Amino acid sequence: MLEDTIIARATPPGIGGLGVVRISGRRALAVAEKIFEAGRKTRGGFPVRRPVFGTVRDPERPSALDEAFLTYFKAPRSYTREDVVEISAHGSPAVLEAIVRLGVEAGARPAGPGEFTLRAFLNGRLDIIQAEAVNDLVRSVSLGQARVSSRQLGGSLSRRVARLRGRLVSLLSGIEAGLEFPDEGLRTGPAAAIKALASLIPEVERLVASYERGQAIGEGVTLALVGRANVGKSTLFNALLGDERAIVTPYPGTTRDFLRETVVIGEAVFHLVDMAGLGRPSHPVEKRGVALGRRIAREADGLVVVLDASKAWSAEDGRLLRGFAGKKAVVVLNKSDLPRGLDERRVRASAGSSPVLEVSALKGRNIDPLRQALRTRFAPDAGQDEEVVLHARQRDRLQGTLEALKKAEALLAGRGPEELAAEELREAVRLVGELAGEVRTEEVLGEVFGRFCVGK
Amino acid sequence: MSRGDGFDIVVVGAGHAGCEAAAAASAMGLRTCLITIGLETIAQMSCNPAIGGLAKGHLVREIDALGGLMGVLADETGIQFRLLNRSRGGAVQGPRAQCDKAAYRAAMRRRLEKTENLTVSQGAVSEVVVRKSAAAGVRTLDGTLLPARAVVLAPGTFLDGVIHIGPRSHPAGRAGEPPSVELAGQLKALGLRTVRLKTDTPMRLDRETVDWREFPPQPGDEEPVPFSYRTRRPLLNKVACHIGYTNAATHAVIRRNLESSPLFQGKIMGVGPRYCPSIEDKVVRFPERTRHQFFLEPEGLDAPEIYVNGLSTSLPLDVQKEVLATIPGLDRARVLRPGYGIAYDAVSSVELLPTLETRKVRGLYLAGQINGTSGYEEAAAQGLMAGINAALAVREKPPFVLRRDEAYIGVLIDDLVSTGVDEPYRLFTSRAEHRLLLRIDNAGRRLMGYGRALGLVPDEVWDEHLAARGRVGRALAYLEKTRIRTETGDRVSLAEYLRKPEIRLGDVLEYGRFKEKLSGEDERYIESETKYAGYIKKQEKEIAKAMRTDAMKIPAGFDYRLVPGLTREAVEKCEQRRPASLGEARKVPGITPAAVQNIGLYLEIGRKRRGPGIDVPRETAPDE
Repeated sequence: MLEDTIIARATPPGIGGLGVVRISGRRALAVAEKIFEAGRKTRGGFPVRRPVFGTVRDPERPSALDEAFLTYFKAPRSYTREDVVEISAHGSPAVLEAIVRLGVEAGARPAGPGEFTLRAFLNGRLDIIQAEAVNDLVRSVSLGQARVSSRQLGGSLSRRVARLRGRLVSLLSGIEAGLEFPDEGLRTGPAAAIKALASLIPEVERLVASYERGQAIGEGVTLALVGRANVGKSTLFNALLGDERAIVTPYPGTTRDFLRETVVIGEAVFHLVDMAGLGRPSHPVEKRGVALGRRIAREADGLVVVLDASKAWSAEDGRLLRGFAGKKAVVVLNKSDLPRGLDERRVRASAGSSPVLEVSALKGRNIDPLRQALRTRFAPDAGQDEEVVLHARQRDRLQGTLEALKKAEALLAGRGPEELAAEELREAVRLVGELAGEVRTEEVLGEVFGRFCVGK
Repeated sequence: MSRGDGFDIVVVGAGHAGCEAAAAASAMGLRTCLITIGLETIAQMSCNPAIGGLAKGHLVREIDALGGLMGVLADETGIQFRLLNRSRGGAVQGPRAQCDKAAYRAAMRRRLEKTENLTVSQGAVSEVVVRKSAAAGVRTLDGTLLPARAVVLAPGTFLDGVIHIGPRSHPAGRAGEPPSVELAGQLKALGLRTVRLKTDTPMRLDRETVDWREFPPQPGDEEPVPFSYRTRRPLLNKVACHIGYTNAATHAVIRRNLESSPLFQGKIMGVGPRYCPSIEDKVVRFPERTRHQFFLEPEGLDAPEIYVNGLSTSLPLDVQKEVLATIPGLDRARVLRPGYGIAYDAVSSVELLPTLETRKVRGLYLAGQINGTSGYEEAAAQGLMAGINAALAVREKPPFVLRRDEAYIGVLIDDLVSTGVDEPYRLFTSRAEHRLLLRIDNAGRRLMGYGRALGLVPDEVWDEHLAARGRVGRALAYLEKTRIRTETGDRVSLAEYLRKPEIRLGDVLEYGRFKEKLSGEDERYIESETKYAGYIKKQEKEIAKAMRTDAMKIPAGFDYRLVPGLTREAVEKCEQRRPASLGEARKVPGITPAAVQNIGLYLEIGRKRRGPGIDVPRETAPDE
């Protein structure tokens, strides 16, 4: 902080109608005063949180660079908790670069990527969940992600985590009080602790599980199109994208490499991967494509299994369906415009719980129902208020918390040492604390003294 | 007064901190003077007649492993012994002993008077002599100068102490003893910030006037566990404590008389401990409780006083009597000494280095209640460390500082110097991040090597420790390699079998042929190490990781001004000291853990230009 004031453009590179340059730091105002001249004289400096019209000027040159609006956010009521000035000018890259250059000449330093958010975090304006939410919000591909991110920026997940943490600390302090003051009869019996855990564990489980949807609307779900050669995977791929992306020919084995494209269905983001057919390859290049395809299919979050409805059931189809058992899938009976050759009952018998849809990728028939099926299968709706975990980082901490809580429960139920149950709960408190980016140990003692009357 | 040619080290105050400091410094071969206002009150247990407990018992054992005195003397003068949390695991077991106060005082005095290089003298110190920002000795009230190369101050609650009993108050260091007003003034003049703390004590009753039939006894353990590695003779329980409860009538009396409590009149200026509240405090803060527990503890084998642990108070004497009258069995009890509250100055412990030397005055060490702690054990631990470090400094040797993950002493001192206190500080096991590693059964393994290197552990104790290590090592190997078939038909090693919660080492050894005789300590160690095995491994990994973080290099020309969230003071300090690593930055005075975290984050970000996750950690340090 101190003399270090940063400047950068806040709008994306390229030509736009408007462009914004942001300055943050102790000398933000001083920098702005050097390069910006208000249209009407403002007494006592720039007003707070009110745009002022004026011109950006190079102090060394007489002519104005651009007309612009300046808004001053006084510390700590600003994004970074420092003094912040935003200059909104015309969106010419040349003009904006010139403003940044002038700012640097006037004593600011070019900001690194994300440095404004970093300052907001380090100055305590945002916790880590909120900082993540800022990033998610500005990068949202889907409206769903934008909505969840914006709610999390408002602190909804942080508050939820804080409440969870409060309950964990309270449970832990009960056990600690019994350990620290054995003569005072404060012991929280295992039964009471197990009861508390019985309501905490499902709550954490729900949060962990919400990552499925969080991933769908955030990082995206990777779906591999699998099937024998020439069942029309590439045609389906193009149909789902609504674009001629993959090369389609009547010849089996046309696709040897794999293609990856992103499509948004509803609020969910899907990364579709088209690849070589998984049958018996005849060409060495094809062979490598098949091996690669198997790996991609294994690593994908889900599968679209494509069968040819016009051909009779083959052992190959059965192997395909069984081969990826345990993986979430949707089964597509493609080429439904041709005369039926496939026995649908055999397919359904092998498909298990995966939905089966008849589609003609070529004619564009039933593509929308397929989209909906993908959405419900891979990105189930959560209630409007249901909190959604968007990040693997958050999910990992919650998963760790869940494991610690389960171990604590098992220890208490099995009459194991209470100090080990306490150890697991401490771990849970630490992880949940990490989730919100803060770690404090004094708190448990505070609660011990607040709730328990000790003092032999 | 003995003066000679001056001393290497002068220790002011002969409470639990001062005695340990003086004993350690003199045992390390330095000419030491211990100066006290009363030879009769050396090592006085001015509050409860007990040593040890959870965390506190751990401290005593650590003091003992390093070569301190408290454990030996507590064993020697103990009249009832209990290992707390016996039914729980090894990490949360703590030994506690009721001690004979008079015997403890006498034993300590005898020992100190016999100690080579140590002069014990009587006098009231009024001033620390400071030359060129360094301690050069002390001056007593009568003007005598005692030159020394280092000074350890351990004056307890005497700094500007004021005793309150109801609406009346008078200056005092302890009941019946004058405070040190001059010294308090001088410390402030030296620029040491102080905080005002207070603490309450309960009334002492005449044992002959208590109707003991009303109070169930709490006996000592059948097999007492000693504090000290030096104790050879078996310990005997000679008394029992007794348990009693207050009742609705007691609480009514207290509520009716709250306005006469100095606390509620706002008279005592100072913060009291939450963990040791006065009875009036408890009644006010927990109105739903219909009774509060207390313990009747004898102050000695033959002493007439009974200490009423749990009824600390600074209510007026007549109210104290009224309170006692509501409790069957105490209704006729005679008060030998009323309970009282004492407010006193403590030096803000963030003024201290991890050696307990003050940052502002070189060669001046502070230990005990003056640093804002409460408890004999906390005081003794600091005294020992201050004495050792003063001696090392005089010898121009590197300081001795324990880490948080290797000793409760490390936790205690680190808490003091890095965060400071806003209430009298007491150690708890939950303050340690790695509680399972800091046990009474491994105190010797953790610390005795240090004590030995410092010259504080005698040969026979060290030899016995090494023998125990060998024995335990063989036993652990035996448990790992011997396999048995369990009731359920599984083949498991004895160690795995011992991991079951309900199984004790005794049960396991019945199966096998381990012939060596194991001590109680050996058995506790083996059980802890086996039952905690997975957790211990995990905690050791965490420690190694933290040490790696501390090893993170800070570039020579690093611009601290670039790190947001750092105060101007923090930036200046870092620029002066130029720490080479994050661990060194942690030790720069005035640098908070949050500041270290921010510096670490900033460095980390600079290193990881690209990586998964959020925008924030992808930050690039602009100076690179």
